[in-house]
Amino acid sequence: MASLLQPDRVLYLVHGEKKIRSPLSTLYFCRYCSELRSLECVSHEVDSHYCPSCLENMPSAEAKLKKNRCANCFDCPCCMHTLSTRATNIPAPLPDDPSKTTMKKAYYLACGFCRWTSRDVGMADKSVASGGWQEPDNPHTQRINKLIEYYQQLAQREKLERDRKKLARRRPYMPLAFSQHTIHVVEKYGLGTRLQRQRPGAPITSLAGLSLKEGEDQKEINIEPAQALDEVEPLPEDCYTRPINLPEVTSLRQRLLQPDFQPAGASQLHPKHKHLLIKRSLRCRKCEHNLSKPEFNPTSIKFKIQLVAVSYIPEVRIMSIPNLRFQKECQVLLTLTNPVENITHVTLVGCEEGDPEDINSTAKVMVPTKELVLAGKDAAADYDELAEPQDFQDDPDVVAFRKSNKIGFFIKVVPQREEDGDVTVSFKIRHDFRNLAAPIRPSEEGDAPTEAIWLTHHVELSLGPIIA
Amino acid sequence: MPLFEGLGSGGEKTAVVIDLGAAYTKCGFAGETGPRFIIPSEIQKPGQQQSIKVVQYNINTEELYSNLKEFIHMLYFRHLLVNPRDRRVVIIESILCPSHFRETLTKVFFKQFEVPSVLFAPSHLMAIMSLGINSGLVMDCGYTETLVLPVYECIPILPAWEALPLGGKAIHKELDGLLVEQCTVDSDSSTGQSLPTYIHIDPLMLFVLSCCPVRTCFISDLQRGLKIQEAKFNLGGTAERPTPPPDVDYPLDGEKILHIKGPIRDSVMEMLFEQDNEEKSVASLVLDALVKCPIDTRKALSENLVIIGGTAMLPGFLHRLLAEIRLLVEKPKYRDALATKSFRLHSPPAKPNCTAWLGGAIFGALQDILGSRSVSRDYYNQTGRIPDWCCLSSPPPESVYDAGKTPPPLMKRAFSTEK
Repeated sequence: MASLLQPDRVLYLVHGEKKIRSPLSTLYFCRYCSELRSLECVSHEVDSHYCPSCLENMPSAEAKLKKNRCANCFDCPCCMHTLSTRATNIPAPLPDDPSKTTMKKAYYLACGFCRWTSRDVGMADKSVASGGWQEPDNPHTQRINKLIEYYQQLAQREKLERDRKKLARRRPYMPLAFSQHTIHVVEKYGLGTRLQRQRPGAPITSLAGLSLKEGEDQKEINIEPAQALDEVEPLPEDCYTRPINLPEVTSLRQRLLQPDFQPAGASQLHPKHKHLLIKRSLRCRKCEHNLSKPEFNPTSIKFKIQLVAVSYIPEVRIMSIPNLRFQKECQVLLTLTNPVENITHVTLVGCEEGDPEDINSTAKVMVPTKELVLAGKDAAADYDELAEPQDFQDDPDVVAFRKSNKIGFFIKVVPQREEDGDVTVSFKIRHDFRNLAAPIRPSEEGDAPTEAIWLTHHVELSLGPIIA
Repeated sequence: MPLFEGLGSGGEKTAVVIDLGAAYTKCGFAGETGPRFIIPSEIQKPGQQQSIKVVQYNINTEELYSNLKEFIHMLYFRHLLVNPRDRRVVIIESILCPSHFRETLTKVFFKQFEVPSVLFAPSHLMAIMSLGINSGLVMDCGYTETLVLPVYECIPILPAWEALPLGGKAIHKELDGLLVEQCTVDSDSSTGQSLPTYIHIDPLMLFVLSCCPVRTCFISDLQRGLKIQEAKFNLGGTAERPTPPPDVDYPLDGEKILHIKGPIRDSVMEMLFEQDNEEKSVASLVLDALVKCPIDTRKALSENLVIIGGTAMLPGFLHRLLAEIRLLVEKPKYRDALATKSFRLHSPPAKPNCTAWLGGAIFGALQDILGSRSVSRDYYNQTGRIPDWCCLSSPPPESVYDAGKTPPPLMKRAFSTEK
């Protein structure tokens, strides 16, 4: 029975670049565009960074500097668990009196899961609990920085060339053919004017790297080109005969966690700072309003802005399904829940023949033709026993029961296809929506402050297999 | 802690550099010395135990689009932790990448993530950039294949490309075959079981096994390797195999131990150097490419060999490769064709699997020209396609601005880096 409550049995259609069908619980509602949005048609943005183990929020500038890593927490290089700092007492000589020894605290890192400690890789114990642990530097950093400087100089030259050419072309401001002649005249001995100008074979220039062109002076730019070696070190002789100590050899995953070093031996695996996680905010692509914005505080699960569809759109759920028989009319009980506080009027409309959105239905459905009225959601309704029940004249053929903001109603289903697979029906649900976000205009002649607009959604229900 | 430090010159944010390999993806930021993360190019769908490879060329566009979208989403929001909309993207690719894959990848970046611009950088060219030289013969030993492309004066010599499907994938297949044939698994309850009974039960086992060649196997030097090959094919009839290295007990998980026989450890990698019927091996690719290059370029290329790619990190690979090349160049096929006999190897300032990434990161740090060399979102929206080196019909970026209709901006370049 609980399977009827599974969210993916009732799908709402989202109109976007692609038509997406997904349960209402995964959708968002942009109340400025008055449309449903799914995760694929919103743009995701990084909102805030935090460390998963110490739950400390990190401002994005600091995160950028620290390369998105927490300053205090470390990961075990063997099993990627979080390391904990342990303290021992070691005897150390007093600074005043070398002959006497006193107990000092020394800290080391240890993994509670795989029993790795920082002493295994030869890291000395530190005297401060945090902040003493350094990650090793990449030995090639200097060379790479020099290379970047060198290429930046070349890039500047290329940019100057391009700008100069653009200016030269723009100056006469003549049709293109004539300006080619002008370029030729201007750069008389320019080696490859034709070569350097973008041609239809332009994509090929994307294959060209940066280099000093002929005739350019080499004065300011110099870089020591890398030297190639004649010989490479061979494998050590004992490699062929020595038995491997497998725990000493790192696995691929352990190696790739440290891209700069990728050590083959476990005694060179240094711990890395823990990587941060982010909180994401969502934004509607059309109107650029935020649909979801989480709280700044990492420990808080609330949202500053939370425009989820279940709090605006009435939700259809399946309550009970009789045995479905081929070509026989069955009555299915559905519930409709009103998420807002005003009374909502809902009309159900069956899909017409040839409806482009109706691609999955395998059965005919007869929905109630009358308008259904849903009471507003009243938070205190559960506790207020003395409240008089609101009086809605309900047709007992259509409405099965009514409970605060929820009603149960019947639809008639006639399965059309006798085949394996679920019976799927679809219909459109039309309801009124009061947009509380719209600016309240100064009311003239006592207008109602918010007008209702009618929204239509296409709903698909998956009712289960036919039981013969 | 000055806030401007991280912003880069001119206020533009550092570009994102991604190297999408068939087995592993290297991702990080431009201007850094190494990638931030090296992760397997796979996505995990909820409910399925088997992970799906992202780089597949034969699946239909819809599926590829959704796989790539999920993967790139994970890259940005799990690993790089930045907004896709703010930063330019540099993608390191192989020049043999099918256009269909490239176009789908571009569509994901522009339509789904709305990045400002994308630059496809050839991996071999980027490897040269990481060294500061202008010419070199670059060999990329990757997962699906080994691809050789010479680069002379910063221009790739496209007709001289050579490739063989000998890479990590072939090694895994060979090793699996040998393990299933010859090795046994011990567990708590039984001994001497054969391997297939476990592989089919647990895909996790496959992942553990994929580390196996890296940890236990190696490549012997030339003399030993030739003897092993002789013994395998038993050409002389009397060939004797050199003493194999000792066996290894490889734990598959908490209970099961796989006993790997010694001979497997040094012979599985020989397939990279065994010459097949066309006498092609990983070493002969280098010489074949040299032969295809113009004569004047050959000396510069042969003295500047650059080897990149994950498979090149196997112990003993480089030494054996040089020795094989020197052996092959004496053969009659190459002796007359190639006058140059000196071969030199570069050692780039990064591990071989990150060298192409590093080149891309260096290029991505050049903010002056990164904008003009990239394909911008506007260009993509107007033309709907990304220029490819093999397709000459793409309009050049500047002609998209029609001189007659809208006056082109005077001082600004066509794709300015200003927002």
